[in-house]
Amino acid sequence: MKRRDPWRIGGAVFLAGLTIFALLPMAWMLITSLKTQFAALQYPPQWLPKNPTLEQYSLLLSPGNPVGQEFLRYLFNSLWVSFASTVLGVVVAVPAAYAFSRFRFPGRNLLFYSVLLRNMFPAVVFLMPLFIMMRWLGLVNTQASLILTYLTFGLPLSIWLLKGFYDNIPVQLEQAARIDGASRFQAFILIVMPLSSPGIIATAIYSFIMAWNEYVYALTFINNAERLTLPVGLQRFFTEYATNWPGLMAASFIMSVPVVALFLVLQKYFVRALTEGAVKS
Amino acid sequence: MAEVRLSHIVKGYGTQLAVNDLSLTVNDGEFVALVGPSGCGKTTTLNLTAGLIELTGGEIHIGDRNVTDLDPKDRDIAMVFQNYALYPNKSVYKNLAFPLQMRRTPKADIDRKIREAARLLDIEHLLERRPRELSGGQQQRVALGRALVRDPKVFLMDEPLSNLDAKLRVQMRAELKRFHHDLSATIIYVTHDQLEAVTMADRMAVMHGGLLQQYDTPERVFEAPVNVFVAGFVGSPAMNLVPAQVTEGGAALESPQGWRCTLSPENARKARAASSRDVVLGARHSTITLSPTPLPGGIEGRVYTLEPTGDITFVHVRLGNDTLVISTPPATRFAPNAPVWLGVDQTKLHLFDAATGMALRAA
Repeated sequence: MKRRDPWRIGGAVFLAGLTIFALLPMAWMLITSLKTQFAALQYPPQWLPKNPTLEQYSLLLSPGNPVGQEFLRYLFNSLWVSFASTVLGVVVAVPAAYAFSRFRFPGRNLLFYSVLLRNMFPAVVFLMPLFIMMRWLGLVNTQASLILTYLTFGLPLSIWLLKGFYDNIPVQLEQAARIDGASRFQAFILIVMPLSSPGIIATAIYSFIMAWNEYVYALTFINNAERLTLPVGLQRFFTEYATNWPGLMAASFIMSVPVVALFLVLQKYFVRALTEGAVKS
Repeated sequence: MAEVRLSHIVKGYGTQLAVNDLSLTVNDGEFVALVGPSGCGKTTTLNLTAGLIELTGGEIHIGDRNVTDLDPKDRDIAMVFQNYALYPNKSVYKNLAFPLQMRRTPKADIDRKIREAARLLDIEHLLERRPRELSGGQQQRVALGRALVRDPKVFLMDEPLSNLDAKLRVQMRAELKRFHHDLSATIIYVTHDQLEAVTMADRMAVMHGGLLQQYDTPERVFEAPVNVFVAGFVGSPAMNLVPAQVTEGGAALESPQGWRCTLSPENARKARAASSRDVVLGARHSTITLSPTPLPGGIEGRVYTLEPTGDITFVHVRLGNDTLVISTPPATRFAPNAPVWLGVDQTKLHLFDAATGMALRAA
């Protein structure tokens, strides 16, 4: 393998380009967040801030001042909405996926494809129908409306992903457990669930990130500043009079921390879930 | 241990019957093989016995209990699967402990029983390993151990040897047989390999198309197959089966391929019992002799090819368009295309009714 393979070099160049393309905005965000308001607007721009400051971060993260109070509220709102839709999503998707994988019932295929139908249309198409439904339910301007909406996005893919996972777990494992003295439910909880945990973790990450980043529905459904989630909150908050770029960038950076952390900690499960089943057959 | 009684069991999928009115009794301590080609309903029958799928009709008794409507966990059975179905996330020890834990066995007993089973199966050194770290043969033993630890009433085995390589399979065959003997266990064993059934089972149930064809000792199934299917399925190489027509009022058979064969009085009586003139003549490879020179009453054929296996040479002989496989001592040499004469042992001859496929019995 000593010989230089042009395909390998080409691949490396391509990947390097891709990495720069992905990381440059992140780097710029981090750099700007460390600048002063004045330095951020200088032209030509300072590539590295001359007087780096953590001022914006201390402002955002201290509950003592109004800026921090507001930011932390949005952060908490986002955490709550994302967490709730993730947990609900997993609780519904796991049994649903298992049923699609294991049971043969009338209308099974129809139901399965209608679950996927939701993801065949752009999200905006459902904006008005869902808004009207939320109004009927009296949920406009509540976080419950967002949680329900995020479920309609997240569930189809979660079910689909998990079903693939359950398909790969040999049915004989459950049969063995049931013969060994487990009820059908125990066989699922004791044998199948642990084996499918990588899949469950992967779908949970997916649901969480999707809810965490969502903007359009949050903007439409919620007007009360108390209940805004981060993406919308940030945009309103920092552009109210004049854009505070370092502040916005610092807030954006804080906002991307949970997602990056989740990925770093759980990425091995994510990769496993997308590439293979838990057991070789 | 206990006897197992299947009474008129039926399993239908839509309009298709996977198991069609099957009744059989497995005696206490008996080793019974369910054997047949894939799709014959043997695994379905086993799963019905285990309670993994629901019966469409019929009843199942284990010992003196009617288990027809019981969950698998309440039937007091153990099962060994073709892919072993070891719990991949548990160590061997925990795999063996699982059935005992599910039955709330005291901790000290669990440990004692696991050690006992491990010693019996020679897997003591593997207890802390994960299933994926074991060889196929070791996984097989662990699966057997998991079935063994809780003294079930019946062992159900679904092709437990078919994932092993040929050498290990022969070895495990002997061990399973010994296992059956030592425990006087009641075993129902599913296999598509008739050789496994013949070598291990006390009785074998041959299935085809969801129907039980014959249920008898391997010797009886081999010597007196009830129909053409069983005759062709059991024995390796398969029994030679050629169509023929009864002539001279039953005294002889003639073939559209041009040969003719006089029947013994016993076989003539059988031939007369046929529903029409059309019959199928069956003869195992070892009951036909080959001669390079004309035999009195012999049938003339032509050597097609030879298969030497070392201690026996199988000669494929063409009679017109029919091909027969005949075993000969390796010392006798035949050349392809050479004419040969076949002598048939009339006492080992099988006659079947071509219309019904059933063996003909002397009237």
